[in-house]
Amino acid sequence: MVGRKSLDALIRLYALQNVLLALLAFGLAQGEWPLVLAGLVLLLLKGVLIPRYLFWLLERLGVSHEVESYLSIPLSLLLGGVLVGIGLRVGSSFVLEGAQLPEAVPVALSLILLGMLSMASRKKAVTQVMGFLGLENGVFLLALAETHGLPLFIELGVALDAFAAVVLAGVLIFRIRTTFGHIDTARMRDLKG
Amino acid sequence: MLYVLLFIPLLPALYALRARETRWLAGSAAAGAVLSLGLSLLAQNQAAGPLRLDGVGLFYLLLTDLLFALVALYAGAYFQASQDREAWRFYAAGNLFLFAMHGAYLAHNLGLLWIFVEGSTLASALLVYHRGGARALEATWKYLMLGSVGIALGLIGVILVYALLGGATLDWQMARELVRAANPAQLKLAFAFLLVGFGTKVGLFPLQAWLPDAHSEAPSPASALLSGTLLNVAFYALLRYAALLGSAGLFGFAAGFLQSFGLASLLAAGLFLFAQKDYKRLLAYSSMEHMGLAIYALGLGIPWLAMLHTLFHSLAKTAAFLSAGNLLLAYQSKLIARVGAVYRAWPATAGLLVLSLLSLAGLPPFGLFYTEFQALFRSSPLAMGLYLLGLLGVFAGLLWPLSRMVFGEGPGMSLGGLPRIRALVVVPAALVGLALILGLFPPTGVVEHLAEVLSWKL
Repeated sequence: MVGRKSLDALIRLYALQNVLLALLAFGLAQGEWPLVLAGLVLLLLKGVLIPRYLFWLLERLGVSHEVESYLSIPLSLLLGGVLVGIGLRVGSSFVLEGAQLPEAVPVALSLILLGMLSMASRKKAVTQVMGFLGLENGVFLLALAETHGLPLFIELGVALDAFAAVVLAGVLIFRIRTTFGHIDTARMRDLKG
Repeated sequence: MLYVLLFIPLLPALYALRARETRWLAGSAAAGAVLSLGLSLLAQNQAAGPLRLDGVGLFYLLLTDLLFALVALYAGAYFQASQDREAWRFYAAGNLFLFAMHGAYLAHNLGLLWIFVEGSTLASALLVYHRGGARALEATWKYLMLGSVGIALGLIGVILVYALLGGATLDWQMARELVRAANPAQLKLAFAFLLVGFGTKVGLFPLQAWLPDAHSEAPSPASALLSGTLLNVAFYALLRYAALLGSAGLFGFAAGFLQSFGLASLLAAGLFLFAQKDYKRLLAYSSMEHMGLAIYALGLGIPWLAMLHTLFHSLAKTAAFLSAGNLLLAYQSKLIARVGAVYRAWPATAGLLVLSLLSLAGLPPFGLFYTEFQALFRSSPLAMGLYLLGLLGVFAGLLWPLSRMVFGEGPGMSLGGLPRIRALVVVPAALVGLALILGLFPPTGVVEHLAEVLSWKL
């Protein structure tokens, strides 16, 4: 997700990630219906609805589908690699007793760190939202790995919050486009101190 | 009953989507808040599903509803005076925000608490945005992004706590029993995430980047809500988690963190205050200072003192932001340099501004003096020195611009079209009066009683 230059590929990658996460949830479920249900809702919400919304947003905005970053691709790949390394290194101290899937904890941490990297280094407002979604997936994976996943209604509430945040961000991006004529957050710096 | 209480604010929110008459909007929002005020008094100690209303929740629920009702009334007058036809946006988003606040204070489940805190972030982003414009957009975007990342870190903390409890429960009361068996080192790790996550929303230094922007670009009634109620909800979550750590016998670990974050926010706010040219940003940094002091009081291990501090701060800061709204109406500028001789132009607002800022600067006989004195009295010598230094900085940083605005030379422009709607003065006056009365007779006993559920010393 760090090295890609095309936004469309990024969104597809995100959708794929969610399908994999949902499969993992099904795999861990062992026939427990709350987990299966949570997986289904997440699959629908994050695997289908959010990617569709993002594609629609890009279409309507009429901006280039290119990721613009403060960092060059090799540099962001390098930084991403370092962050993944950190995630894997410190991951072991995050594994709690009775974790369901201890191997996935470092992966989740790396995802969270990569999400933060893309939020901090990308210029376009849309790509920052993508970074946030990646981070959020990392948190979801952490919940799956450490426990059986959060209780069902909490999980749904969290997903609903994330969905609302993305929709709200989309509306704001439209307004940014009409007000500034671009969606480059690097050029929004009126407020200081 | 608790479910009724939870969903009450949604009615005026729906109403605001249809109605356009500012007076009715203000009336319905205030009526909803007053109704929930009464209901919450009746519903104390009830429980239903994941909801329960205990003393601490009741304390903050009452405070929030009271402030919301008053701000709703003020906002009616404010939007009329500024000839803002989009007042319904404020009431729709505001009532949605109140719904999230109700949820957070009623939730007894830590996961549900997180959901509603995040919900309050989203609803208040709408409040900040209001009618838009380049600066408001930038502030909203920054707030939404930073707030979301912060709260996502908080969610990691929630997940770790849940895992440490063996995935058994997220109910706060039960968690406090179970947490004694949890691994201490990993519980500390979870608390670090929670502190950073919710601390971002409380506006602790160095996580405060969104706070001054959002407070200064939001319309004044919305700034008052942000400062008087939104910061409290994240602080409330920290209160719960600090008590959780206390039950596990790890309060000493939390105390160090809380005290140093608190003092750092105090000192940083003292420095930032001097660089401000905008009086709403000035008030925003003062919020950062007081939330820092409340966190510090919590770090001392005295939850009731922290709660009392947030009570006094909310009253005074709401009054201050509403008076600042009056200044904005009269002078059409947020710059301190453009405002002068308020005492001649609008004596009532000048008086309110002076009283509320004196209260925020921690002068007697206002309540903040009492709580600051109590906290100081229980500090170690080093902390005491830093605390006094910070207070001194804040004192000068607040009162110098105040005297400049109120008594300094006016810009020489005519203020012929000064709005003369009574609520613009009456509402902040009621808040200042309440702050004064509570400062003279601090309700220590009541708050101590309400805070008993948090107590971890057996």
